[in-house]
Amino acid sequence: MKKLSKLLLALSFVLSVTTSAFAVTVVSWGGAYTESQKLGYGDPTAAKLGIPVNWVDYTGGLSEIKAQKEAGKITWDIIDVYAKDTIIGCDEGIFVEFDFDKDFAPAPDGTPASQDFFTGMPSKCAVGNILYSWNYAYNDSTIGDTKPSKLKDFFDTKKFPGKRAVYKNAMSNLEIAITADGVNPGKGSDLTYRKLAADGGIDRAMAMFQKLCTDPNGGCVFWNAGAQPPELLANGEVVMATGWNGRFFNAQMEGTPLVQVWDGQILDYEYFAMVKGGPGDADGSAMKVLREMTSSEGLAGSAKYIAYAPWRKSSIAVMEAGEPWFKDGKTNMVPHMPTAPANTKRYILMNPDFWADNQDEINEKWEAMKAGL
Amino acid sequence: MSKEQILSSDGIPLEESLKKAERKNKLKAVLLVAPLFLFILIVYIFPIGDMLFRSVDDRMITKMLPKTFKAMEKWDGSELPDEPVYQGLYEDLTFLKKNKTYGKIIARLNYEKSGFSSLIKKTVRKISKFEEGNYKEQFIKVHKRWGQSEYLVALKNAAPKWTYAKYLKGIDRKFDQDRNIIQVPEDRRIHKILWIRTLNVAFWVTVFCFVLAYPISHLLATLPMKYSNLLMICVLLPFWTSLLVRTSSWMVLLQQQGPINDLIVWLGLAANDNRPELMYNVIGTFVAMTQILLPFMVLPLYSVMKTISPSLMRAGKSLGGTPLTSFVKIYFPLTIPGIGAGCLLVFILAIGYYITPALVGGASGSLISNTIAYHMKSSLDWAFASALGTMLLVGVLTIYWIYNKLVGIDNIKLG
Repeated sequence: MKKLSKLLLALSFVLSVTTSAFAVTVVSWGGAYTESQKLGYGDPTAAKLGIPVNWVDYTGGLSEIKAQKEAGKITWDIIDVYAKDTIIGCDEGIFVEFDFDKDFAPAPDGTPASQDFFTGMPSKCAVGNILYSWNYAYNDSTIGDTKPSKLKDFFDTKKFPGKRAVYKNAMSNLEIAITADGVNPGKGSDLTYRKLAADGGIDRAMAMFQKLCTDPNGGCVFWNAGAQPPELLANGEVVMATGWNGRFFNAQMEGTPLVQVWDGQILDYEYFAMVKGGPGDADGSAMKVLREMTSSEGLAGSAKYIAYAPWRKSSIAVMEAGEPWFKDGKTNMVPHMPTAPANTKRYILMNPDFWADNQDEINEKWEAMKAGL
Repeated sequence: MSKEQILSSDGIPLEESLKKAERKNKLKAVLLVAPLFLFILIVYIFPIGDMLFRSVDDRMITKMLPKTFKAMEKWDGSELPDEPVYQGLYEDLTFLKKNKTYGKIIARLNYEKSGFSSLIKKTVRKISKFEEGNYKEQFIKVHKRWGQSEYLVALKNAAPKWTYAKYLKGIDRKFDQDRNIIQVPEDRRIHKILWIRTLNVAFWVTVFCFVLAYPISHLLATLPMKYSNLLMICVLLPFWTSLLVRTSSWMVLLQQQGPINDLIVWLGLAANDNRPELMYNVIGTFVAMTQILLPFMVLPLYSVMKTISPSLMRAGKSLGGTPLTSFVKIYFPLTIPGIGAGCLLVFILAIGYYITPALVGGASGSLISNTIAYHMKSSLDWAFASALGTMLLVGVLTIYWIYNKLVGIDNIKLG
């Protein structure tokens, strides 16, 4: 009996080592977002392909993967990254370059992958995942009788006194400031970034925040984690908060009386990139997992748990056919999508090249402005 | 007296046997210390050395653009360089494009001057269509920035293999075209502000910790065992709780609609719609950091105070001193080693804090460590992050040295 139990122990150890050695590691932002990915397409993919998928949290940036590469021991396979990081990572040779139509599944009706995604990819190393929105929300029970409905209401402390919650870095803040100051985005949001890149453009945008944050009727609280804006609205610390629409939606589903304002929202994108030389790279298991997760049904799955828009046009069709799509079985999800027609009357398309070029210089100016507040 | 060599019992001169025995002892001592020495070497000296190295090492780009930099040697930095520089640039970029290794210089040059990222990318895309000769014109046609001298000057400043430019950046300075040191534009002078703010916060947190911890430690040291053990648990339990849990608890307590503000309103000290702001400003930072670092001051002070016999104070009073005089002349000087240990510990810890100030400090909670973290994670300018880290290390070592001169490091006791 003792011999048998020893044998079983050794066997289970060997099995656990081998299965974990073949697991694919996917790295994402944590919280409600990773939950939605894991339940929406991670677990179904793992079940369908028989390849276990590990989820790891991180807080953005390429520093961990760069450190792994320098140490010669890469443990991450797939990373959920910002556009500018796919550009930087592709330039530095950290990520795998895709052959888009070959590596990714076509739509159910046969459209090749490159035409099924809403827009082109910022680099050869990126595959689109979701479209999300930087918009703002207010707490219906603390805002008073007049309700904000436009982007410039965010900066109007006379009509809506109270503190605002604002993202701690300059990205997304400069765009809404210059739009609220009267610059309409124009085609592809060209005008927004052209005005920002022009002489004095950044100072003009930062002046809006300077005014807002030093206003005795206003004031700013800076957030850095996605869970903070709904929290700050719920406990009454601020009257309006910028944030990510999916987090606002989840708070609304949990009962907080938040109302989102979509005017002047910034449409931003989240991508998957695959690490060159990762553990799942050699045997192709990471590519298989990625292909399955970014298929039409795969991407549509995450919208069951969070209000971010799957990138594929065919995924929206999958969702419409299956409404009500949300996990509670009662809510229609398509109207809550950042890409829904009602929400995209005036929107700004985030420009990753602008930020890849200028983020260091702009952040220095932004920090200097914050220091002077 | 003739000089006779003293012989030991086996016929060998005593001097030699003595030397041999001493050598053996020395070897034993070295072997005993060796594991710790190796540990310190591997865990402290190598990483810090690597960090120092990284902050001045700029060889990568020198290796990648050799022809350009060689041609630039003859350029004095004023106006635009001549054709040979552009030809060198063409040859270097073509080579890099063929080997697909141009990605690394994009990031490196972009740290030098914003805008290089899109400049290099666009140039590399179009460079295979260049014709022979007349490179300067073709470069400027591809992108007008090649005709702006600031970009060429920035490129020239990237030439040296070893550079202390990152340290200059850490004090808001940079090189201009003649390798003079000038200040960066006024709206980008953020680092000096951050250094001063970091030192300020660390200093005041140390002072507050000292003022609060002294009476607590004294109480703990003089109460009978039964009570002092109970109170000690009150000090140690928060100490063992996670830092983030404590910081988040302060966020709940200090918020506008939180319990502390409710208490203030209930006591009538403020109107309900004019609640004081206790968070997202310096108050939040100081309160949270003081509470988190308090045990580091209480424990050294306690262990030193425990060794002070109560009869000393009684002796002072019996010699005619008032309690205050006895305290100032007898008790306080005896506790100075503990104060030294506690203050040094709290100050050094406070200088490196960034999570707590970032969460509860609002705009004022941006300290130098936040910048180091930003450059490590987001901008990936590890050379700059290393330079800032080295500056912080040197600053702390300087303070340690000053402390040593004033109080004497032998005067530190942890109990």
